[in-house]
Amino acid sequence: MPAAIPTEEEASPLPDLPPPTPAPVVVRSPRAPWSSAVIGFLRVMRANPLTLAGFVLVVIICVSAIVVAAVPPLTQLLLGHALAATPYDPNMPTAALHQGPSFAHWFGTDELGRDMFSLVLAALPLDLAIGLSVTGFALIVGSGLGLVAGFWDKPRTLGGAVSTVIMRVTDVFLAFPSLVLALAVAATLGRSIFTTVLAVMVTWWPYYVRLTRGEVLAVKNLPYVTAARASGVSEVRILFRHVLRNILEPLTIYYTLDVGTVLVTFSTLSFVGVTGSITTPEWGQQVEFYQGLLPFYPWTVLAPGLAIFVTCLAFSLLGDGLRDILDPRSRRALIQAAQPSTLPAEVPAVAARGGGGAGA
Amino acid sequence: MGRSRTDLLVFIAKRLAVLPFVLLGIIAITFFFTHIAVRNPCASWIPHAHPGALQNCINYFGLNQPLTTQFVKYLSSLAAGNWGIDPLGGQPVAPVILAAVPATIELVLASLFLMVVIGIPLGVIAANSNGRWADHLVRVLYLSGWATPTYLGALVLAVIVGPAVGLPSGGAYTTSTPPFPQPTHFSVIDALLAGSPSGVADAFSHLILPATALAFLNMGIATRMTRSSMLEVLPLDYVKTARMKGLSDIFVVYKHALRNSLISTTTVLGITAGSLLSGTVVIEEIFRWPGMGDYAFNAITSYNFAGTIATVVIFALGVVIANLVADVLYGVLDPRVEWR
Amino acid sequence: MIGARRDDGVTLEPPSANEPLLKVEDLSIEYRVGAGTFQAVRDVSFELYPGRVLGIVGETGCGKSTLAHAIPRLLPEPPAKIRSGKIIYQGVDLAQVPKWKIPRVRGTGVGMVFQEPINSLNPSFRIYSQVVESIRVRRMRDAGKMPSFQPGPQAFDYSRRPQLSTAEAMAHPLTPVLPSGIRDRGPPPIPKQLREEVLEALRLVRINDPETILGLYPHELSGGMRQRVMIAMALSQRPTLLIADEPTSALDVTIQAQVLSLMKELMEEVKTSILFISHDLGVIAEMADEVGVMYAGHLVELGPVDEVFGHPGHPYTRALLDSVPTRYKDDGPLPSLGGNVPNLSRLPPGCPFHTRCPIAEAPCSVSPGPLLEILPGRPPGIQHRAACLYPERVEARP
Repeated sequence: MPAAIPTEEEASPLPDLPPPTPAPVVVRSPRAPWSSAVIGFLRVMRANPLTLAGFVLVVIICVSAIVVAAVPPLTQLLLGHALAATPYDPNMPTAALHQGPSFAHWFGTDELGRDMFSLVLAALPLDLAIGLSVTGFALIVGSGLGLVAGFWDKPRTLGGAVSTVIMRVTDVFLAFPSLVLALAVAATLGRSIFTTVLAVMVTWWPYYVRLTRGEVLAVKNLPYVTAARASGVSEVRILFRHVLRNILEPLTIYYTLDVGTVLVTFSTLSFVGVTGSITTPEWGQQVEFYQGLLPFYPWTVLAPGLAIFVTCLAFSLLGDGLRDILDPRSRRALIQAAQPSTLPAEVPAVAARGGGGAGA
Repeated sequence: MGRSRTDLLVFIAKRLAVLPFVLLGIIAITFFFTHIAVRNPCASWIPHAHPGALQNCINYFGLNQPLTTQFVKYLSSLAAGNWGIDPLGGQPVAPVILAAVPATIELVLASLFLMVVIGIPLGVIAANSNGRWADHLVRVLYLSGWATPTYLGALVLAVIVGPAVGLPSGGAYTTSTPPFPQPTHFSVIDALLAGSPSGVADAFSHLILPATALAFLNMGIATRMTRSSMLEVLPLDYVKTARMKGLSDIFVVYKHALRNSLISTTTVLGITAGSLLSGTVVIEEIFRWPGMGDYAFNAITSYNFAGTIATVVIFALGVVIANLVADVLYGVLDPRVEWR
Repeated sequence: MIGARRDDGVTLEPPSANEPLLKVEDLSIEYRVGAGTFQAVRDVSFELYPGRVLGIVGETGCGKSTLAHAIPRLLPEPPAKIRSGKIIYQGVDLAQVPKWKIPRVRGTGVGMVFQEPINSLNPSFRIYSQVVESIRVRRMRDAGKMPSFQPGPQAFDYSRRPQLSTAEAMAHPLTPVLPSGIRDRGPPPIPKQLREEVLEALRLVRINDPETILGLYPHELSGGMRQRVMIAMALSQRPTLLIADEPTSALDVTIQAQVLSLMKELMEEVKTSILFISHDLGVIAEMADEVGVMYAGHLVELGPVDEVFGHPGHPYTRALLDSVPTRYKDDGPLPSLGGNVPNLSRLPPGCPFHTRCPIAEAPCSVSPGPLLEILPGRPPGIQHRAACLYPERVEARP
């Protein structure tokens, strides 16, 4: 609705004054909603350079992972010919052993003459997939349980009992230091990438239960939920439309921040050796493999380390920035930046306090 | 429901009353998990053993009995104060673990100290220069700590930084056992008790790098929370009231705003305890710090079930107590909170 | 100087001092949020003379609070920015004072009382320590141990101001009702030499038996009591200018009346100049000598309060007055204005009100009218000015 057209409620004319002259309608060029969203996004990002950096990095990382995993020949072509750099084949030795970073070998070579950049790049799809899938699992399972535990928590009902059980189990899991639990799970289930991923998943969901439940509790008694209930909306619909919809934001922020954390945790488990000996390139294992070379050929350790660091940093920058942007005060800025001509009209607040005082 | 001392004691008693059940849950989960996943650990304890020896091992540890029987047996021996024995060394696990606990507490407290002393002021600085270069710098710094894998940071500190600045990076003392008695097993305190200045200096210098490694990687949590709660508090009216009294900016920020921001920072620091304790597993391994993390790692990877359960329980105890301390501090800092 | 006389027989007293205490000249303030810029205050000018009360009235979002916060430079910069104009207080332009020197002006110079007393007292500190802090700042400045504001050459001499006295203040004392379940925390550790002054400050705001509340936390007091403590803290610093930013809007109606009558009594006693911000016309009529009406960041009318409310010179003031319900009368629905307050990031050219104005003519959409005197020739301080080209067309109120 254009700002200039008064609503019925506001338009009751003054009794002793001529009806208000119709205000000119502000003419705006019709603009597709997505393009104004894009413009708003760009405006906000310009004010948050770190978030923009995180966003760009995340996009680059995801695209590279897809390219590396899906079309190896393209990767080879890009790296080998277009950039005149490394021939892309992580296991193909080159002539140079223990070479420091150079134009031909961006991250140097190891003691077998393998190119470190290719090795690190080859591990990207696996590590990224692990980060995304573990957090995804935790988000679905943990938030689902948290929604239930937060929404139906009235004591002495079936829901209340279920909620109590969920929270007690969660409490027990939260008391475990996650890395120790994951280590125990991975070590006892047998050493492989799959069991390690499983181990991280087992330890990761309780945080989402706690987070989601807290958010649900904060939201579920707000007036708009009560209003929805008063107008006969079903409980399940309230849960999804009014509660879940309004807690998606903190969950998104947490999820984004968490991708990097999972990646670091997984690589730690991999570093201490619970993934067993595998042939698939993986960053944590690469660090472990080369760690003895750190004083002599530091690039061999720092290359995979840097890969973990940059990936985690990218997601953290994005998540941290999203938190700042989605914070209610700056969220207003986002909305206004997207649609600069509609400011929420404020009701005239001339208070009705014993009218006699005015104009006496 | 109030704020008197009795209310506080009732609150703590209630929380401690739940503790045995949490610990029981942890013991049960760890016990069944390890015993179901690895039905016959004897094979990995004594590799290449002939069948008779394996059978002896199974009989000795009662591994052929039903799991519930084994669990009840374990619990009853635990109740009698026997934490089980390490199948590889054949010694009871309890004395070894208990001797290692103080070293870990020392390491964790030292890094907590660094996190508070460095992390919180950084958060304040960032919040006060919101959106300007100092803010960006602090954010990159704490996110870097966040994004650095524990082992990588520790390796770089131990192998590159340590030798470069001349700080030791292995063990708690230069010699494997110090030339004085260790009544408490806290390295610095033992040296102080022995009245040996060189011992104190030695213990202290060995503590710096591992504590820094652990702190740097977790500092972001304190900084980030301080920053965001400061950003929430700074525009509030009572901060304006303090400014309108004519107080200087620094006084307003550090007395009126920080005091209230610390309420949320404390809670988060309590939650960090789990992450700090997890970090010790890797840090102690790399710095050869004689603590529990090192022991836990070896116990877990060598199917030392008694040792695994004992360390996991002690870690969990640490997490629960840290959370309780954080909750109490929360109430102490915020006079509006009632104990219940 | 003899007061000006209107044809309706109302006599207006001009202020006793010649130099205004506060002179705001063409002040413009904008907020930069994201990529947008919002003009919160635009070319606002007014004077406040010593010992007088100037009310600022307007709708939510009209810029009155921004204006109030801008004077002691309390706005967060960024996003707020004083784009142009002067805030001359005691002969010194506060808009030009470097940021680190600003705290010197606050407290003993410019004091402030905020809207919501629950938010304006620090929840973590007990009442006594917050009051002591105020008094200590003033005493240290008096003793020269803390840098204080150096007024300019045209400053008003405040040494003639009478000292505060609580002798008569206790005519209508208010004994604090303690919330149940508060245990006695023992006498608070107030330094001896400050104790009497702390009690005096609280007695000034009619708190009987102030010892009982000294050891409490703000959340343990009622809203009215908290606002009294706020006022006591502000007045204990003896400010020359007190800014009251909707001090009663968050209170219950009965408490509101109590606090208002308290402030009115205190105004007589302490002779502090007050800038009183409110959205409530009744409160302004009660409290202020002069009133400024703000709309969309502009000061559209300024003058003696009875005159502005009786003979408005701007159609917006008129509409505002019409929207106040009258007692004992039901004339059908209350009149309200059509249209919306214009977007502050893209104000229409000309008078900000012309899109909704019933008497607007073509020239109104060209340039915003300056504040013009309606009856020229009056001495400063009691002039009635309106930013309307056709003030004579605005009907007087019946």
